[in-house]
Amino acid sequence: MKYFLRKIVSVSLASLIVIGSACAFLPSYAHAATSSDTITLRVCNWEEYIDEGDWDETIDLESGDIKGENSMVADFEDWYYKTYGKKVKVEYSCLGTNEELYNMLTLGDEYDLVCPSEYMIMKLMSEDRLEPFSNDFYDKNIKENYYSRGVSPFIKNMFDSNEINGEAWSRYAAGYMWGITGIIYNPDAVSKEEASTWTIINNSRFKRQITIKDNVRDSIFAAIGAIKSDKLTSKSFLASKDYKEKLAQEMNDTSDDTIKEVQEYLQEVKDNAYSFETDSAKADMITGKVVAGYQWSGDAVYTMDQADKDDFTLNFAVPKESTNIYFDGWVMLKSGIGGNDEKKQAAQSFINFLSMPENAVRNMYYIGYTSVISGGNSDVVFDYLRWNYEADDDEADTVEYPLGYFFSGDSDDEKYILTIPRDQMDRQILAQYPSEDVMERSAVMQYFDNDKNAKINQMWINVRCYNIANVPPWVWIMVDVVIIILAAAYIYNRTKK
Amino acid sequence: MKNMFSRKQLGIPYGLFLVLFVAAPLLVLVYYAFTDGSGKFSITNLLNFFTDPNTLGTLCYSFVLAIVTTLVCLLIAYPVAYILAHSKIKRKAVILLLFVMPMWINFTLRITALKEILSLIEGNLAFYPFLNTVIGMTYDFLPFMILPLYTTLSKLDKSLIEAAADLGADNFQTFIKVIFPLSVPGIVSGVSMVFLPAMTNYVVLDMLYNSTYIMGSLIGSYFSAYDWHNGSMIALILLIIICIVSLISGDSDSEESGRGGALL
Repeated sequence: MKYFLRKIVSVSLASLIVIGSACAFLPSYAHAATSSDTITLRVCNWEEYIDEGDWDETIDLESGDIKGENSMVADFEDWYYKTYGKKVKVEYSCLGTNEELYNMLTLGDEYDLVCPSEYMIMKLMSEDRLEPFSNDFYDKNIKENYYSRGVSPFIKNMFDSNEINGEAWSRYAAGYMWGITGIIYNPDAVSKEEASTWTIINNSRFKRQITIKDNVRDSIFAAIGAIKSDKLTSKSFLASKDYKEKLAQEMNDTSDDTIKEVQEYLQEVKDNAYSFETDSAKADMITGKVVAGYQWSGDAVYTMDQADKDDFTLNFAVPKESTNIYFDGWVMLKSGIGGNDEKKQAAQSFINFLSMPENAVRNMYYIGYTSVISGGNSDVVFDYLRWNYEADDDEADTVEYPLGYFFSGDSDDEKYILTIPRDQMDRQILAQYPSEDVMERSAVMQYFDNDKNAKINQMWINVRCYNIANVPPWVWIMVDVVIIILAAAYIYNRTKK
Repeated sequence: MKNMFSRKQLGIPYGLFLVLFVAAPLLVLVYYAFTDGSGKFSITNLLNFFTDPNTLGTLCYSFVLAIVTTLVCLLIAYPVAYILAHSKIKRKAVILLLFVMPMWINFTLRITALKEILSLIEGNLAFYPFLNTVIGMTYDFLPFMILPLYTTLSKLDKSLIEAAADLGADNFQTFIKVIFPLSVPGIVSGVSMVFLPAMTNYVVLDMLYNSTYIMGSLIGSYFSAYDWHNGSMIALILLIIICIVSLISGDSDSEESGRGGALL
């Protein structure tokens, strides 16, 4: 009987293994069976960075209602079949950090379309890993080219004028969401003036009450802004002819001397800040644990919205020195596309589908960040802004907020002037759609090449680690004494035996 | 046919697991630790570890943090385990359960809750990063200290204590000469279960606003800067340190139980 039982156990275990390993191979068979008539598009995007549907609220715009019923990905599959008569299956996965994505790609993971941040796009471009868009992607006469027809002139200009290895970003990348960096603050504790400078991160008046991003690029940007504050805000610098170029140069200054200064500055900041955080600052701002925080504009909007629900007011300020304009964009990978034109077409269609004004609004509403799409001939995106921000008729104190620079490329375009309550000037709209004077002092932060990256990482480690040279001498003496006593006790015990 | 699946073959699943998830990654780790960016053999990573004041400082910081956490855990857990093991409380199991229950809740949730409690007590958490980290880790790892101690102490032969009393030892002497030496195996396994994770569990530090790196976060920072070689070397050295600590504690373990045997 016992033998019989043992046999049953071992047989069932063995069959489990067999079934298990069979399962591991199954998906690849299934894949092979369907690949003949269906295009498989492997997309990798940030978590919660696309509309997943199931909304409670409807956005009732003048141009029609918008509501996310299904997920954007499912809608794309339907739309693609209706438009092109071919089936596409999106294999959707998520990335945690840009570095993680890079490491996955290095290890040989294959994706067709990914959505990294600007510096990772620059790095991938410089390493020649990206597939350029086909020429007809830029053709505005094709109805389905929603990206080319709808992208904001401001963003388009940025993508055309920035180059890596002599090629414009726009050749390889299409924008998705963009934003700036700034300071979110509690107006009861911090004045607007105090918040409007990067030096606030080392302001001892807010000791242990301000959060910093746990991220070397953001920290360097803030530190450079703070160190060079006087220079960047001096009249002669502001009035210089090639101000924007000079500003970009200063903010991207990673010479050894500057890195050293940045390190010293950040070491002081470490003792002044509440924390280097990745995600906790949103909750800590709302619960009042901290009074100010270094924040990305999209997260700032989310934080202010959440605080509003608790009748707690938070404001946003853009430092006077400079602000870092950043974006996430769609790029196709050579390793994934592999010269397959059908795939490439599907990938470009995915970008175009996300760029349909209605879909841009859906994503914006769901994520909280700002889409690069201004809508072209369609007013849906601007209508959404009016739906969101425009002052009620009985509002007494209103201001005009021109956004022509973003929507039509003409700063004085009267069609794109919002009338908003005055307090909004320091709040959500400033973060979501910064005014043109703020964008004047924005700078793109370049990617670091391998040598620079190693140097800067070392600087970051110097800031974050406990340096052994800081151990006071008396501690060393005590440690020595303890070791000697322990050793003596051990030897004494041994010899006694 | 009869002997198609022998008892040995039952070990195959674990064998596979061992090869795939323990041995293979370890080999990769060693490979990266001893190569440079171009894939050539190099010991610069090893030299880096012992010449960079930051890695050494971080090692010390992690050690101090782990030692303090372990001591605090031991000081709290020993009396509890002792009382539980020797009391005549009827519902011992219930009380023990109360101590173990936190382990059923995900530890990030527990630390989030702890954060709120500490904020109520301290006000601004950021002023006491080290203290908070020790509290957080103690909260996290305490059950791992209590359980082995309780097991050892409850299995302790009562007649030895009676014999000590018969021979005229008072309570304190009994504890020092009999109970404590006999509970050393429990202490050793408790210490190794608390000390080692306390050196690397940087999530607790992150969540409790301690901005100083420990070994775990240092390795992570190298990996996110695409420097797999230095990161792997630090991981490897940490592994070796852990092995040494385990060996020493294992050594004293057998020695102490030998002494416990000699007592008989």
